Amino acid sequence: MIELKDIVARMRRLNILLFSSMAGLCVIGVMFVYSACSIRENPEIQIQYMRHAETALFGLLLYLGVACTNYRKVIKWSWLFYLFCLILLIMVPFFGRKIMGARRWIFGVQPSELAKLAMIMMLAWIYGSERKFKGFVYILVSAFVVGLPTLLILVQPDLGTALVMVPTTFAMMFAANIAPRWIWSFFIIGVLAASAVLGMIYAAERIEMPPERQKRLREATCLQPHQIRRLEAFLFPEKDLYGSGYNRHQSEIAVGSGGLHGKGYLRGEQYMLGYLPPSVASNDFIFAVLAEESGFIGSLTVLLLFLTLLVPGLWVAHCCKDNQGRILCVGVMTLIFSHMFINIAMTIGLMPITGLPLPFISYGRTFLLTVMLALGLVQSVSVHGRVAVRSF
Amino acid sequence: MAYHGQKLTDSWRLAVLALIFTVFTALLVKSLHRVQVVQNAALTRDQVRQSVRRVQVPGARGRIYDRNGVCLADNRPSYCIAYYVEELRKPGKWIRTIDAVDADIDRLAGVLGLPREISRKTVERHVRQSLPMPLLAWRDVSETVVARWAEEVGSFPGVDIYVQPERFYPFDAIAAHVLGYVKRDRPKALPGQRIHFYLPEMLGRSGIEQQYNGQLTGICGGRLIRVDARGYKHAVWEGTPAVDGDDIRTTLEIRLQMALETAFDGKRGAGVVVDPRNGDVLAMTSSPGFNLNDFVPAPSVAVWERLNSDQERPMFNRALQGTYAPGSTFKPVTALAALKAGRISAEESIHCDGVFRLGTMRIRCWDTYGHNDIKIREAIEQSCNVFFCELGHRLGYDPIREMAAAMGIGRKSGIDLPYEASGLLPSDEWKRKNMSEPWRPGDTCQIAIGQSMLLTTPLQMAMLTSVLANGGRLYRPRLVADGEKGCLVRELDIPRAVMNLVRDGMHDVAVSGTGRRVRIRGTEVAAKTGTAEYNAGGERKKNTWVTAFAPFEQPTVAIAVVVEDGISGGYTVAPVVHDLLVTIFGEPPPEEGGAAGANPVEDEVFGD
Repeated sequence: MIELKDIVARMRRLNILLFSSMAGLCVIGVMFVYSACSIRENPEIQIQYMRHAETALFGLLLYLGVACTNYRKVIKWSWLFYLFCLILLIMVPFFGRKIMGARRWIFGVQPSELAKLAMIMMLAWIYGSERKFKGFVYILVSAFVVGLPTLLILVQPDLGTALVMVPTTFAMMFAANIAPRWIWSFFIIGVLAASAVLGMIYAAERIEMPPERQKRLREATCLQPHQIRRLEAFLFPEKDLYGSGYNRHQSEIAVGSGGLHGKGYLRGEQYMLGYLPPSVASNDFIFAVLAEESGFIGSLTVLLLFLTLLVPGLWVAHCCKDNQGRILCVGVMTLIFSHMFINIAMTIGLMPITGLPLPFISYGRTFLLTVMLALGLVQSVSVHGRVAVRSF
Repeated sequence: MAYHGQKLTDSWRLAVLALIFTVFTALLVKSLHRVQVVQNAALTRDQVRQSVRRVQVPGARGRIYDRNGVCLADNRPSYCIAYYVEELRKPGKWIRTIDAVDADIDRLAGVLGLPREISRKTVERHVRQSLPMPLLAWRDVSETVVARWAEEVGSFPGVDIYVQPERFYPFDAIAAHVLGYVKRDRPKALPGQRIHFYLPEMLGRSGIEQQYNGQLTGICGGRLIRVDARGYKHAVWEGTPAVDGDDIRTTLEIRLQMALETAFDGKRGAGVVVDPRNGDVLAMTSSPGFNLNDFVPAPSVAVWERLNSDQERPMFNRALQGTYAPGSTFKPVTALAALKAGRISAEESIHCDGVFRLGTMRIRCWDTYGHNDIKIREAIEQSCNVFFCELGHRLGYDPIREMAAAMGIGRKSGIDLPYEASGLLPSDEWKRKNMSEPWRPGDTCQIAIGQSMLLTTPLQMAMLTSVLANGGRLYRPRLVADGEKGCLVRELDIPRAVMNLVRDGMHDVAVSGTGRRVRIRGTEVAAKTGTAEYNAGGERKKNTWVTAFAPFEQPTVAIAVVVEDGISGGYTVAPVVHDLLVTIFGEPPPEEGGAAGANPVEDEVFGD
């Protein structure tokens, strides 16, 4: 039986920066989901902001609940959570609901989002426990733990999740100092492979050569044609403004026409006139709406809020006295950071378009709940991790 | 527990991660600064380009008035039944909206009892190209149709009455060639602006409407429309308001114009009345004519075919574009040239025995028995061919040509109307080039009596007559006066005595000569008749002329009238001019016993 006094004592150990920046981002999220949905004709979509707010409040309860629970107990059961997610993911292709060409939903949730947290918890549990094996074994185990759900998610299809899991896993391995040589070689191989692929696509487009060699060069990248098109749209944005480059071009116009001060709340023209496709304005491209309406000042505010979330998160890790908590924090923070970076970078054309939500701000209830749960775990580390196993 | 003996991971690794996060976030800040602050102007322009459409709205077209302020070309509201397609928008593909509009037009056609005016293709084109504009399903509908529509308003959403200005000519066919007609057309873009949509503007296609189109048109205003990604109107901003066109006051006098056209009644030809004091064109007509209101909003196919296939060519402005041999109306020019050159005096007479012979050429005088010995004043009065042939022969061609050119023959008068013809004042050079023959003395004789190759327009003859009327000043004829003073082309160097002699001769024409029928009571008139033969498909026909000016001492009007296929100037045209003069000057009631005055024309009619 937990006493009220005990709860208050735990609450006082919450990291206040971590909490307030998250709350701020959630409020901004509700505001701009409202902005992006208010012009939609479908009443169900019009009230998305309400559902976003409800989810955020529900998430807050979970957050506080998890924060009050010792993460060490939670993490011990992470394999169960992981298994649960795996089962859901396996069920998705058979029973899932198909929306916009991808089968991602089951029972109203996106298991792929929950799986991200499950993977992080599993890795934290594995890396944070006593090292009994050689580095290579950890590599194999990580590859299995991360690879299995990621493969299931990739076939949905959902490239974005795979994309964020790579840096998250790397960061956690780096923080846990697991098989450093392996990591570095993977890292270098990854960078080389990515530049090789991009280089081949670039060469096929820009260097004069007979068409059949162009075709062979493109085939050599081992990518799907639509993926090649996206990469081309990224490399040569002016090539096809009304085809594959349309969203990117329109979101760049939205961000850029916002200027320094923005056009004012609820005054964004790009989504209101439908140039920014309304179907993506409230989720993947919410940042374009935000940047257009609030300008450079607004975007800067959001980035600063994310920094005041990320740095205290790592500070919590630093204060934690055991490896599981530390690595957990690193995983969660890298996940949030990757989401934020990839989402904003694709909005302004720094990266190819991938459907990834902006944490707390994009509409997407499963993901919102997932990141709030994850942050709850980080708060739990803040509450319980400062003193090494005293009363437990 | 397990982690007691565990070595904690390095905290510097966390610092490295924090550093990476910060650096990458800074990268985002830098990129956002580039996009939002540095490229702001360019991207805002991109946005405007894709979402803002400029609609050009023409100003109201200026009116055209006669010299006394009577309106000759006006604007009237025209009621159109318009579809605002955006309000009938159907979700999904365009074709569904097009289908809906198309079906609705059919339904409305049934209710209004009108046949469809626009095809499905037009609807399609409208939806694809000018969606934010009203689609005019029926143009210029009657009031009954408007009333019928008003009863059914409720069941036709997205349909409304659209009022657009339409040209209206209160006098229908009067002065049709001078005023000209308009056509709806795409307006010219203002420099530096791209128009996406436009409301059609009226564009003058002939006559004053064309010549002064720039003044009448005014300046287009602009309206900006913001459209969404699918092309639907989202917001409208009134931009610059349109500036209405200027009204134009012409020199025409509608009373005279109507009198001239009434006098023509059914005849084919042209007439011009000018003010010899300044070149103002008081009336100008070409017969047959056409009804200007048939061209509003556009001529029907039937009307257009009739106007263009008609043998009588009603669209052709004979007063300006028709070229005719002037016949005897040219004789005063020969007389002036000879008198000025001193080749003949007032007292010198030439013998006329009814036919002029030169080599093998024979030119007959209209009086078969001849005029015997005849002096120049009488020769003008009687229009003696033999006298003028002989005179021309003695004088040679160059003085005649010089005099004619000085009086405006052979070149455009410079009137402010488009498509003026210049006529033909032939020369040796011209003849060699075009007929491969040298100039012969016979040609000079022919020209001296206004025949053969010489071609003039009625307007040129009116200006020539006004030179005789005002004693030697050639003005540029004008329809729009820019001041009281006329635009003087040149002042002819003709001694007063010479000029008076010719004028006296013309005075006699109207009193007792070939143009007796011109005479009116109360006003002294000077005139000259003319008849020029021409070959119309093997048939010999005659163009008949009268030129006249009045009052004799202080002329205020100079007239030239030509009637195609007439009998003679004195018989066919003189009554036309007579009626016109009566309208201009009025005629007091006949005096008791003034029989000669009451019925002046009782004798032969072939005098020329």
